[in-house]
Amino acid sequence: MTRVLDVLRLRLRSIFRGGKADRSLRDEIELHLQEQIDEYIAAGMNAREARAAALRSFGPVAPIEEQCRDTRRIAFVEHLARDLGYAFRSLSHQPALVIAASLSIAVAIGANTTIFGLFSQLFLAEPSAHRPDQLVQIRMGGGSHVSHRQWRDLNESGALAGIAGFSIEANVNWRGPDQSVSLVPMVVTANFFDLLGVPVARGRGFSTVEARADRNPAVVVISDRFWQQRLGSDPNVLGRTLVFNGEPYAVVGVLPRMLRSIPGFGLAPEVYLPVSRALAPDIDRSDSGLVQLVGRLKDDQGVAAGRAALAAAARPLADEYGVKNFATVAEFVPVRSVDALGSLTIVGGFFLVLLAAVGLVLAIACANVAGLLVSRATVRRREMAVRVALGASRRRLIQQLLAEGFWLAVFGAAGGLVIMAVLGRALSLVSLPLPLPIEIRPRINTTLLAYTAVLTIATTFLSALAPALQATRRSQLTGLKQHGPGDGGRLLSMRRMVVIGQMAIAQLLLVTAALFLTNLARARHLDPGFDIEHTLVAQLDFVEGRYTPVTRTAFLDSIVERIRVLPNVTAASYAYGAPLTVRSGMTNGLDLKVADTGREFHASFEVNFVAPGYFETIGMPLRRGRGFRAGDGPGSERVIVVNEEFARRYFPDEDALGRILHLPGAANTTYPAQIIGIAGNGRHRTLGETQRAAIYEPYAQWRGERRVAHVFVRTTIPPERMVREVVDIIGGMDASTAATVQPMHDMLAFAFLPSRLGAGLLGTLGALGLVLALVGMFAVVSYSVSRRTPEIGIRMALGASRIAIMRLVIREAIALAFAGIVLGLGAAWFVTSPLADFLVAGLSPNDPRTFGVTAMLLLMVSVAAAWGPMRRALRIDPAMAVRAE
Amino acid sequence: MSKPSDLIQGTLDLLILKTVALEPKHGWAIAKRIQQVSGDVLQITQGSLYPALHRLEQQGWLKAQAGITDTGREAKFYALTAGGRKQLARELESWDRLSTAIGLVVREAE
Repeated sequence: MTRVLDVLRLRLRSIFRGGKADRSLRDEIELHLQEQIDEYIAAGMNAREARAAALRSFGPVAPIEEQCRDTRRIAFVEHLARDLGYAFRSLSHQPALVIAASLSIAVAIGANTTIFGLFSQLFLAEPSAHRPDQLVQIRMGGGSHVSHRQWRDLNESGALAGIAGFSIEANVNWRGPDQSVSLVPMVVTANFFDLLGVPVARGRGFSTVEARADRNPAVVVISDRFWQQRLGSDPNVLGRTLVFNGEPYAVVGVLPRMLRSIPGFGLAPEVYLPVSRALAPDIDRSDSGLVQLVGRLKDDQGVAAGRAALAAAARPLADEYGVKNFATVAEFVPVRSVDALGSLTIVGGFFLVLLAAVGLVLAIACANVAGLLVSRATVRRREMAVRVALGASRRRLIQQLLAEGFWLAVFGAAGGLVIMAVLGRALSLVSLPLPLPIEIRPRINTTLLAYTAVLTIATTFLSALAPALQATRRSQLTGLKQHGPGDGGRLLSMRRMVVIGQMAIAQLLLVTAALFLTNLARARHLDPGFDIEHTLVAQLDFVEGRYTPVTRTAFLDSIVERIRVLPNVTAASYAYGAPLTVRSGMTNGLDLKVADTGREFHASFEVNFVAPGYFETIGMPLRRGRGFRAGDGPGSERVIVVNEEFARRYFPDEDALGRILHLPGAANTTYPAQIIGIAGNGRHRTLGETQRAAIYEPYAQWRGERRVAHVFVRTTIPPERMVREVVDIIGGMDASTAATVQPMHDMLAFAFLPSRLGAGLLGTLGALGLVLALVGMFAVVSYSVSRRTPEIGIRMALGASRIAIMRLVIREAIALAFAGIVLGLGAAWFVTSPLADFLVAGLSPNDPRTFGVTAMLLLMVSVAAAWGPMRRALRIDPAMAVRAE
Repeated sequence: MSKPSDLIQGTLDLLILKTVALEPKHGWAIAKRIQQVSGDVLQITQGSLYPALHRLEQQGWLKAQAGITDTGREAKFYALTAGGRKQLARELESWDRLSTAIGLVVREAE
């Protein structure tokens, strides 16, 4: 403890006293002595005598040094320390003020740090790795991913210290204790842990040698979350065998709890597996996109030099592969640098909106504190006057009042960090319906503390500067006399201005919140084009290589047959994709040809492969023609169903039904397929999308090797109650297939997520702003009533009615609110325009109804805030009020 | 030898500012110069000189710069800033007023 104190003391000394200044002073004194000695020698003394005489005439050195030091530091540090101490003592007599102000600031700073913490975790935090500053993210020309061989060649070229590859796309099935679970693993190249130095809490990362792809590595590193939640924190986890895609893997390591993964954006894969043939059957194909690259620069290599070296190494490789654009290095930027944030698009924009909103909330809170401090200043008028009389300069008084504001801001910031920690804990319990494993939790680190420090300083000035200037105005301090009837008016007008500003900001926040709430409501009522209330969806993930297209169809057919005979089931079917989920099917842009007329056209459309009974099961109407039958199999004529939008768009003048289209097949061939039905329009990817064209093909005629399928079940009872039976049927037929069974409306949570998040976060901020503004309004009307107590008393004595008194008070609140609302709406008109990107089509950010409704709300809330002070005004006893005057 | 208390309060600042107004000087040279010009009447002790120099620097009326003394040593030279020049004018004016006033009183008494 004493050592800590010593270090602290030395630190402070080096900052405030300045060792450098001390040294220069000693030099100065030494020089002075030398000059004096020279003079004495010139006068005939010898060197020793001269030095002694010079020292004697100079006198003791230490006091001079001390005095000089004093003149240097006294001006700033001592005053500061004294002011802070004085401010602290002075505030300790005002617990109510401190609590009210700190709480107000704490809520606002808590909101700010939480949003900023999430933002920095998602976009700015360095990955957990050795020397993350040396890491660069690399993209070669032609695509984000390179093949296994391309990775190996680049890594072995020696252009950089090393290059690792990773991929977080494909799922694996983990055989859990009850059922198979589909996970998104991080599939990494053998050198991943050795090169990047990703920390491991227990055990170790797999080494480059043991994880070589050609040795069929069977090792896995698991995340802390996986270890705790899926393996029950098994203490003997190292060496335990886990089964992924039917193959055993030995656990060699467990990652630490707060790991920031290499790709960032909060991605937190549950397991890390070495890339191998078992996980990636196309590993030997030289052109398959398998992994993304992250490189490590050599110790003395700059970014530009690294890029040049890599480009030089890639050129001969491009010739070798015959892939021309492989020679260009499309991207080579340090990880998490500003350049690497190119991918920060809509999510980043949304965070900027949030940061702006929480900033406004903080401004309202500061205004409340400023209001409190202004009222306090009126009480302290005498104290200020005494201090001025005793010789304090205005600057010193301001500095001291700022010190009080600083304490309030510091208490608020401390409270804010506590709020953030609590919110962060709550957030980590919420699992977002996202396709990838994302873990976001704001953490207290140096970036966040620096941000908090900036907020604290800003809060100090925003809340305390104006009151300090006001309180130390010369006219306020002219005498020790009690304040007369005339003053205080200026304070009131200042507080009114502040409230108008608060109202304006609250109005702006409310408009934003209302926009996002309307957006959510609209999104909910968008018709997806099919029935989501009575449908159960099972998402199946097959183990790689377990099924051929033919056996897969047979497997799915037999599942559906068994489900169909269950009680309360009216229909069951299956398809490749499920609409409005992340796996909604494929989007194609192709040149198509009509067989009989020979007309060719370019079409962009969604494709899904569906089984017989699909349209009936999900409740999508067939407008004309028929759906698929069991007979539409691999050997029979190719048939397709298109949706109304497809028919309208690409067959505007003719009947699409019965036409034969030439669709592109494998290797530049085409195949004819007849349009046998026209289905109703539906939503495919997002609820807000503009209507897409779509083609449905029979599942049985599809040769694609996809490992995913969805089984749909239409029930007469709430679909939640059928989940268990469907899980049992699928699990009983193939335990290696992972099945996620959910009601359709739960499955669609992802589609609602953006509008939900937006509505939730901005709605909360809007409410927060409203409450804080309400507090401000209440305070200013209260103050105004107490100042006008004599006036109101006289009016009452002269016979003013209760209604007239009420009108007097309420009118003020309405006038203030109205001014704020007008300002706020004006600002909203300009500020909210960029929000259109986040809203469903057809919802304008400048929606007049939103403006009107929020303005009414704010006005009503303002009147409500004035209600308490108004009642107090009515209770004023005229006799007492006039006598007090 | 004159003690600092012999100097009228505040005149040390005036003397220093006036002395460096001509050209930047280091501490020893300032003391020497004041001594010479005043015909050895005013002797500034180091104990008051350096704190005064540092205070004037702190207030922004002097600024320090590196220089070489007549004897060829490196030293810290003090030069007058623009603010220092204004301060010098103010101090001169108040000195004039004060000395005139004192002169009047003293002559009156004779």
